Amino acid sequence: MPILAVEGLTKRFGPNEVLKNVSLTLEAQEIRAICGENGAGKSTLVKIITGVHLADAGAVLVDGHPVEILNPQHAQQLGIALVAQELSLAPALSVLDNIWLGNREVPLFHRRKRFREQAQKALANVGLGDLPLETPVSQLSIARRQLVELARMLTRNARVFILDEPTATLSDVEIERIFSALRALKTEGKTVIYITHRLGEVFQICDSVTVLRNGELIGTRRTNEIDRANLMEMMLGRSLGEMYPEWNSEPGEPMLVVKNLAVPPIVQNFDLTAQRGMVICLAGQVGSGAIEVLRALAGLAYNATGDVRVAGKTLPLRSVAAAQDAKVQFISEDRAGEGVFLRLRVGWNLIATRLAEHSRFGMLAHDGLRAAAAETATAVGVDRARLRSQADELSGGNQQKLAFGRALGGDEPGVLLMNEPTRGVDVGARAEIYRLIRQFCNRGYCLVMASSDIEEVLGISDVIVSMYRGRRVATYRRGEADVHRVLADITHPVEAA
Amino acid sequence: MSNVSLRSGFLLGGIRARQIVLAVRILAGGALAIFALSTPGFTSPLSINSLLNAISFIGCVAVGMTFITITGNIMSLALGATVSASALVFLASLSLGVFPAFLVAVLFGVVITAVQGAMVGYIRANPLLVSIAGLSLLIGGAALATGGQRIYPGGEGLQAFKGRVAGIPIEALYFFATVVIGQFVLSWTRIGREMVMVGSNLRAAIAAGIDTARTITVAYMLAGAFSAVAGILLAARYGSGDMELGLGYDYTAIAAVLVGGTAIQGGSGSVVRTLIGVTVIAIIATVLLLRGFSQQWQYLITGLIVLAVIMLHTIGERR
Repeated sequence: MPILAVEGLTKRFGPNEVLKNVSLTLEAQEIRAICGENGAGKSTLVKIITGVHLADAGAVLVDGHPVEILNPQHAQQLGIALVAQELSLAPALSVLDNIWLGNREVPLFHRRKRFREQAQKALANVGLGDLPLETPVSQLSIARRQLVELARMLTRNARVFILDEPTATLSDVEIERIFSALRALKTEGKTVIYITHRLGEVFQICDSVTVLRNGELIGTRRTNEIDRANLMEMMLGRSLGEMYPEWNSEPGEPMLVVKNLAVPPIVQNFDLTAQRGMVICLAGQVGSGAIEVLRALAGLAYNATGDVRVAGKTLPLRSVAAAQDAKVQFISEDRAGEGVFLRLRVGWNLIATRLAEHSRFGMLAHDGLRAAAAETATAVGVDRARLRSQADELSGGNQQKLAFGRALGGDEPGVLLMNEPTRGVDVGARAEIYRLIRQFCNRGYCLVMASSDIEEVLGISDVIVSMYRGRRVATYRRGEADVHRVLADITHPVEAA
Repeated sequence: MSNVSLRSGFLLGGIRARQIVLAVRILAGGALAIFALSTPGFTSPLSINSLLNAISFIGCVAVGMTFITITGNIMSLALGATVSASALVFLASLSLGVFPAFLVAVLFGVVITAVQGAMVGYIRANPLLVSIAGLSLLIGGAALATGGQRIYPGGEGLQAFKGRVAGIPIEALYFFATVVIGQFVLSWTRIGREMVMVGSNLRAAIAAGIDTARTITVAYMLAGAFSAVAGILLAARYGSGDMELGLGYDYTAIAAVLVGGTAIQGGSGSVVRTLIGVTVIAIIATVLLLRGFSQQWQYLITGLIVLAVIMLHTIGERR
C-alpha cells in the first residue's frame, strides 16, 4: 500500500491556478525526486502535503486513508516531515536540546537517559553517531545541521521526509554525507521526497522522478528507465516558439567592464564585459554566485571588491546611490521583499527612483511626477487607470513591470541588472517581460540578468555565462549553446568535462 | 470542505473586512458626536477652550510621533521627556530673549532626537530600546543639571506663547502651524515621500537608492522639533517647569497616531489623520471629565478605546 498519495490536487491563488489536478503515489523505501522549473508548482505541492496550504480540490491519502492536513503539526503527527531550506534549529541550543525541542512527549524535566539514548540512535541513523550530544548547533556546518534536523524528525517517528533543495549551498563532500544519510533512511523503510534543480542528483540518489510544469503533472518515471535528455524534455516541454521576440542585436561599445570581482564567500575572480544593446545572462543555480554578482554591481553587497567600470568610469562598489548615479539599476527577484513597495500606490512605485529628478530644493514637483508616472506606465505596459491602485492589488507580472518602470528612469540608457526577472510570473506576462527586455536593448541599454531557468536563458540571451559555485564555467554566444551544455555546466560541470 | 469555510470565516474576506472597519468608524464617530453634544457644558466656551488646549499640547507631540511611526520605527518612549527637557531649556535660556530661547529649545529637541534617529538609521538599533535609553539619559541628565529644582523663567516674554488671538488660544495656533508644516513635509517634500517609502518597505527603499539612514534621522529630528514646541507651550502656560511636565505625552501621542489610522508598521498615514486622532482622544477625555469620571476612569477608558482601534485596524489589514 502506498504510504502517501495525492489525488487530483488543485490550488488557486487569486486568478492563478498554480496546481492543476496533480496525482502521485509514494511507496515505502522510495526516494522520489520532484523536478520542475520555478513556478512549476513544486513548493505549492509540498505546502499542501505539509499542511501549510489547503487544496482547493483533491485529496491527500496517508496509508490509503484520505486525510485533510490542517497544519504543519498535524502533518508531523501523520509522519510527514519537512526539512526546509531555512532550517528550524535553534543555533544556541545543543544538539540534544534541538532534537527534543517542541516534542510533545517530553516532560518538564527531560535530561533522562531514555531521551539521550533515542537521540544518539537517531543521530547514528543519519551518520552522526560520533557527534557529542552537548555540541551547540551553531558550531555545526550546514550539512550537519540538516542531518540533525533529519535525526529530529526520526525521533518523531516521521515516515516521509521532504527535503527542499538540501544541497543548494553544500560542497561535494557534504552532499555525499546527506546522500548516505538518505540511503540509510531508505533502508530503514522510510520514504524521501527530494526536491532539486540539479538533475545529476536525480540520477545519483533517486529511484523515481515526478516532473511538474506550470502546475501540471507531466509524469512520473523510474530513474533507471530514462536519461537526462528525457528528463529535460519533460521539464521544458516543447512550446518555446512565440515566447521570445525575434531580434537582431548589434553589439555596441562595451558598457560594463568587470575585473576581479569578489563577493566573499561565494564569488571570486569574476570578469565580465557587457556591451550596449545586449542581453547577458548569468546562468546558474542557487549558490552559483550569479545573484551575488548582480547584487554587488547594484551596490547591495557590503563586502564586494573589484574593479568595475561603467562607460569607462570607475563604479564605486557597496553604494546603491553610486550605482544609480552611474545609471546602473537593479530589479530584484524578491518582489514583496525589495522589488516593489506593495503598500504604496502604483504611481509612486513607478517613480520611486526619480524623486530627485522631479524635485527642486527638496520640494516635489507633483505635476512632473504625475507625468513621469503616466509616461512610465505606458512604457512598461501598466494600465494608466491603475496608477492610483495599491501595488499589491496587481498580479505578479504587473508588479514586475513596476520594478522595470522604476529602473527605466531618464533618457540616457544605462545598465539594467535583473535577477530572475520572470520568477512567479505567468506565461502571458512572461512574454511581455521578454518584449520589455528587448525594448530596453534596442534603446541602448546593457542588460545583465541572472536566471536558473534554462529555457529562458537560451531564449533571451545574446551571451550566456554559465556559473557554478562562484566561478564562470563557460561563455557562449547566441546559438552556440544548447540546453544540455548549459544544464551540464550549471548542475555538475565535472560531468561535462 | 468544512475547514476551508471555517478558516475564511475567521479571517473575513478582504472587502468585507474593509467595509466593517469603515462602518465601525462611522458608527463610532456618530456615537462620539452624540455623546459629546449631549454632555451638559460640552459646547461652553470654557470647555471648548480647554479642549483646544489639550489638543494643542498632545497634538504637537503626536505630529512628531507620526514621523517616527511612518518611517517604520513604531514609536519613541522618549518624546515625553524631550517635551519636559526642552521646556526646561527654554525657561533657562529666556534671559537671551524669547525668540533666541525658542530657537535654543527647538534645537535642543532636534539634537536629542537626531542622536536617537542616527542610532536607529545608521546602526539599525531597535527604535524602542534606543528611545528607552534616551528617556533614561534625559531624566538623569536633567536631574543632574537642575539639582532636582523646579526651573523658573530666566526672563520675560512668555506672553508670546499664551493667551488668545481673535478668540483662539495661541497654543492652538502653534499646533495648527505644526500640522501644516508636518503635512507639508510629508506630501510636498522629497524627504517626506522618502520617509513613507522607507516605512513601507525598508529593503525596497535601499534597493531604490534612498538614503534610508538619513531619512530616518530627519524623521526623528522633526519629532524632536515638534516635541520641543509642545514643551515651550507648556512652559509658557505653567510659568515654570520640571521633568514631570511632559510625563505620559508619548503614550497619548501614539494613541492619537493609531486612532487616526496611521499604520503601526509604517509606510502609510498622515499628519491630518493624527489631527483627527488627537481630536477624538481629547473629546473623549473632555466628555469623561465633564461627566464626572475620575482620572483613573479616564485612563482606563482611553486604554480600552485604543485597544479597540488597534484591533479594528488589524482586522482591516488582513486579507
